[in-house]
Amino acid sequence: MVSSTPSISFDTLKRENLFRNPPKDKSAFPALLAAVQPHIDSFNAVTVEGGLLDLARQDIGVKSVFNGKNQNENLGDKLSLRVDKIYIGKPRISDRDKTSLRREIYPAECRERHITYRGRLTVKIGLRINNGSWISQDREIGNIPVMVRSNRCNLENLSPYDLVEHKEESEELGGYFVVNGIEKIIRLLIVARRNYPMAILRSSFAGRGKSYTQFGVQIRSVRPDQTSQTNVLHYLSDGNVTFRFSWRKQEFLVPVMMVLKALVETNDREIFDRLLAVKDRENSFLTDRVELLLRTYKGYQLYTKKETLQHLGERFRIVMGVALDMTDMEVGREFLRKVVLVHLEDPKDKFRLMLFMIRKLYALVEGSCTQDNPDAIQHQEILLGGFLYGMIIKERVEEYLDQIIKEVRREVMRGMLIDFNNKEHRTKIFGKVNENLGSSLEYFMSTGNLSSPSGLDLQQVSGFTVVAEKINFYRFISHFRMVHRGSFFAQLKTTTVRKLLPESWGFLCPVHTPDGSPCGLLNHLTHKCRITTAISDTSSIRKTLVSLGVTSPATASLPSSATTCIQLDGCIIGWCSLKLARVVSDTLRYWKVEGTHGVPLDLEIGYVPESKGGQFPGVYLFSQQARMIRPVKYLPLDKEDQIGPFEQPYMSVAVTPSEISPGESTHVEFDPTNILSILANMTPFSDFNQSPRNMYQCQMSKQTMGTPGTALRYRSDNKMYRLQTGQTPVVRSPLYSEYGLDNFPNGTNAIVAVISYTGYDMDDAMILNKSAHERGFSHGTIYKTEKLGWADEKRRGGTDSKNLFGFVNTEDIEAQIDDIHEMDDSTDEAKIFKQRAYEKLGIKEEWLKTVDIDGLPKIGQLVRDGDAVAVYHEVPKESDAGSTRPRNKVFIYKGSEEAYIEEVRLLGTEGGDNKPMQQITIKYRVPRSPNIGDKFSSRHGQKGVCSQKWPAIDMPFTESGMQPDIIINPHAFPSRMTIGMFVESLAGKAGALHGIAQDSTPFRFDEENTAADYFGHQLKVAGYNYHGNEPMYSGITGEELHADIYIGVVYYQRLRHMVNDKYQVRTTGKISDLTHQPIKARDSVTLRYFAIL
Amino acid sequence: MSDQREAYQPPNSGSGRSYAGPSAASGTMHYLCAECGVKVGINKGEPIRCKECGHRILYKQRTKRMVQFEAR
Ligand SMILES: [Zn+2]
Repeated sequence: MVSSTPSISFDTLKRENLFRNPPKDKSAFPALLAAVQPHIDSFNAVTVEGGLLDLARQDIGVKSVFNGKNQNENLGDKLSLRVDKIYIGKPRISDRDKTSLRREIYPAECRERHITYRGRLTVKIGLRINNGSWISQDREIGNIPVMVRSNRCNLENLSPYDLVEHKEESEELGGYFVVNGIEKIIRLLIVARRNYPMAILRSSFAGRGKSYTQFGVQIRSVRPDQTSQTNVLHYLSDGNVTFRFSWRKQEFLVPVMMVLKALVETNDREIFDRLLAVKDRENSFLTDRVELLLRTYKGYQLYTKKETLQHLGERFRIVMGVALDMTDMEVGREFLRKVVLVHLEDPKDKFRLMLFMIRKLYALVEGSCTQDNPDAIQHQEILLGGFLYGMIIKERVEEYLDQIIKEVRREVMRGMLIDFNNKEHRTKIFGKVNENLGSSLEYFMSTGNLSSPSGLDLQQVSGFTVVAEKINFYRFISHFRMVHRGSFFAQLKTTTVRKLLPESWGFLCPVHTPDGSPCGLLNHLTHKCRITTAISDTSSIRKTLVSLGVTSPATASLPSSATTCIQLDGCIIGWCSLKLARVVSDTLRYWKVEGTHGVPLDLEIGYVPESKGGQFPGVYLFSQQARMIRPVKYLPLDKEDQIGPFEQPYMSVAVTPSEISPGESTHVEFDPTNILSILANMTPFSDFNQSPRNMYQCQMSKQTMGTPGTALRYRSDNKMYRLQTGQTPVVRSPLYSEYGLDNFPNGTNAIVAVISYTGYDMDDAMILNKSAHERGFSHGTIYKTEKLGWADEKRRGGTDSKNLFGFVNTEDIEAQIDDIHEMDDSTDEAKIFKQRAYEKLGIKEEWLKTVDIDGLPKIGQLVRDGDAVAVYHEVPKESDAGSTRPRNKVFIYKGSEEAYIEEVRLLGTEGGDNKPMQQITIKYRVPRSPNIGDKFSSRHGQKGVCSQKWPAIDMPFTESGMQPDIIINPHAFPSRMTIGMFVESLAGKAGALHGIAQDSTPFRFDEENTAADYFGHQLKVAGYNYHGNEPMYSGITGEELHADIYIGVVYYQRLRHMVNDKYQVRTTGKISDLTHQPIKARDSVTLRYFAIL
Repeated sequence: MSDQREAYQPPNSGSGRSYAGPSAASGTMHYLCAECGVKVGINKGEPIRCKECGHRILYKQRTKRMVQFEAR
């Protein structure tokens, strides 16, 4: 029945053993680790030795500055700067600290102390004076936040056992940052697919200027270090083509012919021949336009490559900000390197691709190809958090070099003599430059705002990071699988970007998206979808292609017969005929799955066949990072193939084996549930439900009061929810065990009767059995942590601590308190006398009920609103010694509910500053037993509010004496059509009777072989009614009810929205004349405003 | 572990003293190191540091005296 290995049984002993003995080798739940892998791998790819940061520093290149005052004739000495190495260290305690034995800092400490988990950023700057040799100098430029469990983290590669030793979950996933004690992740963002020229129709293009049209070809070209530069070709109504790019947020337009002529030494004839294949030359539409393109360029009178480069260099010298001694031609070359098709190195490759883009643009205008949909996942990829982080580091380091150069210039302008050979002069310059790059990255992580001079080729400046909320584990894990379309699209009024397109099949979950404003923009990856983080090895692809009969551009120019081009990551690597293209792609696919001929398994082979007005044909191979990829079975070899969203629309993938049509289907899904996200897979029998209900369930499981983790003792989140009596569901899919969700129970199995019984169950209200409630059904706890102290003030500039925790006169209190406590207070007079005694000590009697002599609250103490939780006093100044003693003051507990003091933490500081305690955190425990008005929900989007806790004696009972824990109204079903809940009830009942876990994977039953029969039979065997109905008796009269009642076991979640947080009743104050409802303060203001109008 | 856990001390007879005071002699309170679990005595005004390992977080101990709960 099930193809994957994990069993559906409870595995109680195995689970218990895992709890008691966390494995000392590797995690028992690799699927869980794989879910966050894209985050960690992308970060590792940046920081690893010779990784993306190394490529980034190479791309930054050499910057130079002169110390001559006269900028025209004598430039003076030249100082060249480059970055030799960028290094990020593991989080360690500062060197100033002499007392700590262990020097590493672990994430748990950062969470508890509300600090940032960060490592030291060091750059090795290379300096050269004139043409001397390079000398290196290390500069420490701050501490930057480091991803947990990455290769810069002290938890890297630790086993579950060791993780527990370091106060983490046994299944700590990492993939996030700890910033000021808060866990933050960088969102996965959808961006345009790299290195693929997209045909775009956009009305805003026409508004760019005179004779501009809506036609364009756009390419997001990505450098090896993952930074990108977008190039656009615009079609002008007269047939001309302009090249557009933006540089430091400014837009520039260049005639495309100028770019072409600058790239290679060429002539008009060659451009004409290469642009138009033989059959195109009869097409007067194309020939006319190409002719015009060539003709209008004559006006510039630039004929050779050298002239063109000089022209470009002269124009862009200021913009590019290059060194003064560079010639115009060098600047022109630098322009081509940094701006034009930056994913390619060889100008010849750039030239070929530029011609291809022009050809595609003409085809778009002519109508022989259609536009590429930028909203379809086919033309999208994922911007991974680690890569974005690397891009920001690169930009900051480059900015750092620029600042040094600026500083030198400023000094020179001011008339200062700077001798580069003088070490003191150099250190003086370094000293004037802001060397704290760490704080800007910390700012980015904590706010999600990008302050970048270039904009990083992105469409948004904020909203890059989100808090990885740990309301429960389902919500936490969802953050890592979440992909956002970009905050730019959230403002659009059109709904096109939000649509679920068929291309997304298998990559984005169709169920798991929130309703409301982020609907369709915030999607979740399917549980099998992976994101590539490394380039696959394509070194032998070119050779392989030649052996298949493809013409290589390296050896021959465009052959007249070959019309289809083969591209590898946006580089034209071959031409062939349309017929051959199909053969090539089919053969490559076979070899790739087979693992032969050096074709890597995760290569994407996008074969776009010729069509009438469809996508521009060709073979597009993709091997680089940031692609989504998923496994399907390749039928010819019966082996796993990895497919991407670009190729999928042109493939025939059967959903089930029975759907395979011979001769057409090449692939089959391993499991139809592969299209669902982790959470959507947890909805039992979701194929029986009306689809929106499954969406609601995905939302609600993330708002459930569940189990955020097991290391709660070492966390100090502002607010944390915990379900005290969580259970493993009887009805669940094998994926539940595969993801180890038993570690994080999210609800309770409840006996649910579907009956209209008490009259208190209208409108989705539900009745809770009072005895079930008393047994602890859905009992929950809220932990609130409060920070007290003055640590923040000190950071703002105050030198010494002004306040201290504790009583100012501890000794006096200790000596006298027992006597005062025992003083007589039987008469009013004695009471006043006793109170005076307390006052004399500078304390209040009630303080000592909740606070210890150290001024900190007692653990386990019940506190109410206004109770003292900590005592402090001002430090007497040395100057006025002997004058009055400072007063004892208190921090009080503010909160409408009673709470218990759960934990008190005394937080020290780093460094050997010998400061007394300035900060504590108090964790309060607020018990929250289910209450009338609390929200509950089954796993089928069926939420309801508890309306009564009904006494057990009045509850209806079955013939076997069973009473329901929950009663819900039958009217909840007809309109919502959540049949899955009925099936779950049936399956749960049968499972409970037989003592087995039930497989609830969707798409397992069909018309011949129904779920009702399968579970009905199990019930029958257990001696119960086949259909799940039972005769029931009224708990009040004892009479049998007239109808049999549907009763079974359903897994219920308790949602975190509780009345205790929400009730705001008031009996006085303004009410609306119309509705007789209380008016909020703000509303009354608006009403007044309306009255004036 | 067991040697660290001390027996429950009943409240002094008749005394209404309801705070977990320090052992009268020393005048210091003892806290638990978050890192090595050792008992650390901290005097008022002293920096928060484990005397054994130098760790920077200390936990307050649960009092061994009775905490009175009011019946509700
Ligand atoms: Zn210690």
